[in-house]
Amino acid sequence: MLLLPKFDYEEPKSLPEALAMLSELKGNGKVIAGGTDLLVNMKKGTVKPAFLVSLRKVEGLREIGGENGGLAIGSHATISEIADSDRVGSMFPVLARSASCLGSPLIRNRATIGGNIVTARPAADLPPALIVLGAYVELKGKDANRTIPLDGFFTGPGTSVIESGEVLTRIILPSAPPFTGGDYIKIGHRAALEIAIVAAASRLTLDKPDGVIVDARVVLSAVAPTAVHAASAEKALIGQRPSEELFAKAAALAEGDCSPITDMRGGAEYRRDMVNTLVKRTLLKAFNDARDMKGGNA
Amino acid sequence: MKKLITFTVNDMGYEVAVAPNKTLTQVLRDDLDLLGTKEGCGVGDCGACTVIMDGKPVNSCLVLAVQADGSTIKTIEGVARGDSLHPVQETFVEMGAIQCGFCTPGMVLSATSLLEKNPHPTEHEVREALSGNLCRCTGYQKIVEAVQEASRRMKG
Repeated sequence: MLLLPKFDYEEPKSLPEALAMLSELKGNGKVIAGGTDLLVNMKKGTVKPAFLVSLRKVEGLREIGGENGGLAIGSHATISEIADSDRVGSMFPVLARSASCLGSPLIRNRATIGGNIVTARPAADLPPALIVLGAYVELKGKDANRTIPLDGFFTGPGTSVIESGEVLTRIILPSAPPFTGGDYIKIGHRAALEIAIVAAASRLTLDKPDGVIVDARVVLSAVAPTAVHAASAEKALIGQRPSEELFAKAAALAEGDCSPITDMRGGAEYRRDMVNTLVKRTLLKAFNDARDMKGGNA
Repeated sequence: MKKLITFTVNDMGYEVAVAPNKTLTQVLRDDLDLLGTKEGCGVGDCGACTVIMDGKPVNSCLVLAVQADGSTIKTIEGVARGDSLHPVQETFVEMGAIQCGFCTPGMVLSATSLLEKNPHPTEHEVREALSGNLCRCTGYQKIVEAVQEASRRMKG
C-alpha cells in the first residue's frame, strides 16, 4: 500500500484567510484541490509539502457563470461539472470535449479545472482547448491580483508563472465571435485513464459562412515542454478561403512547429505524423462548425 | 495533529479523529472496519477503492479523510437493503460477472451510480461509466452484460 508522508492540513474559511496562510508558509504550503495529481505525487515521494491548504470551504470557487457574454469558471469546478455543464457544452463545446477526455469518470469527479492548469503537465487535456478559446486566468495573492492570458502562463513541464502564495481563482472565457468553430482530439493507447500521446485543439473564425478565415488558432499538446501554438500553421490559414488543400498545407506546417520527444508513450516520428493528422481533422471539424453556426460556437 | 471529522457512511453518522495523511480508504477500512472497499493501485488507476461521495463515484485512495468531513459516503456495504441484494449485485452473481472479486465492489458502485443517473444506458455508456474500474481477471464482457440485465430488471 502506498502511504502518504506526514503533513499538516488546514481549511481556511475565506480567500483572504487562505492567502494570508499561504503567504506565511512561504512555499512550504501547497493548495490541494481535487488531489488526483498532488496525492499521487506525494505518495510517490516526488513532492513533499509540509502543509496542505484546502479551499473547499471558500465560497464561489466552484461556480460556472456568465461573464461579459462569455463564461467564468471557478478554479475548483470539477472536470465532470465542466464536461456535463449545458452552458459549457453549448457555448464552448471544445472545452466540454477536452474535459470528457480526462482520466476516468472517477477521476473527473474529483479533479478540477484549476488543478489541470497549475500542475502544468505538457500533456494536460484542458490547456490546449482553453488556449484556443483565448482563456484568461485570475490569480489572487495576499497583496495583489492579476488576470493574465493562459497563453504564456506555462514556462515548462510542471512550471508556470504562478508565484508561491498566489491562488488561481477563476478561468475566464471571452465570448466567441460569430462563425467560429473548434475541435479537440486526443490520441492515447486507450480511451480512458490515459495521458495523451498527442493532442490538438483548433479554432477557426470566418468573416461569413462562405467567407475567408479571419482568425485561426491551433494548439498542440504533448509534443513540446508546454502546450504550443502551431504558429506557422496559424499564419498560413489567416486570410485564406478554407479548403481541404489549405488544411493539409497547414497540417504539414504544424509538424515543424513542435518538438516531440520519444518516450514510453510514443516515438517522436509517430507524434509528428499524428500532429499532421490531428491538425487536419480538427480544422475540418472547426470549419464545418464555423460555417453552420450563426455564431458564438467554439 | 489529528483532526476530528464528522461524516455519514451508509446512513450512519460517524465522528472520527484522523491524521491528515490518512486516505478515505484507510479510514473506512481501519477505523470503520468496512473492508469491502479495496485498495489496489493507490494512485487512482484501478478503481478498486471506489465509493460514492456526495452522490458521485470517486477513488477513495485519492481523497484525504479530512476532505470527507461533512460528506455523505456510500460503500459497497450500503448497497444491499438488509438481506435483499441490489439488482446489480443479483445480476453480477447470476451472470458470472464476479471472478476473483477484488474489483467487484468498485464495479457495483460505479454501475449503480450510472443506473441512478441513466436508468437505460447503451452498452457504450455502460463501458464508459466503468472505464475507471479495472478487472484484472478481464471479465469485462460479463460485467457489462450484468449491468445491462440489471437495467432491464429495474425497469419493471
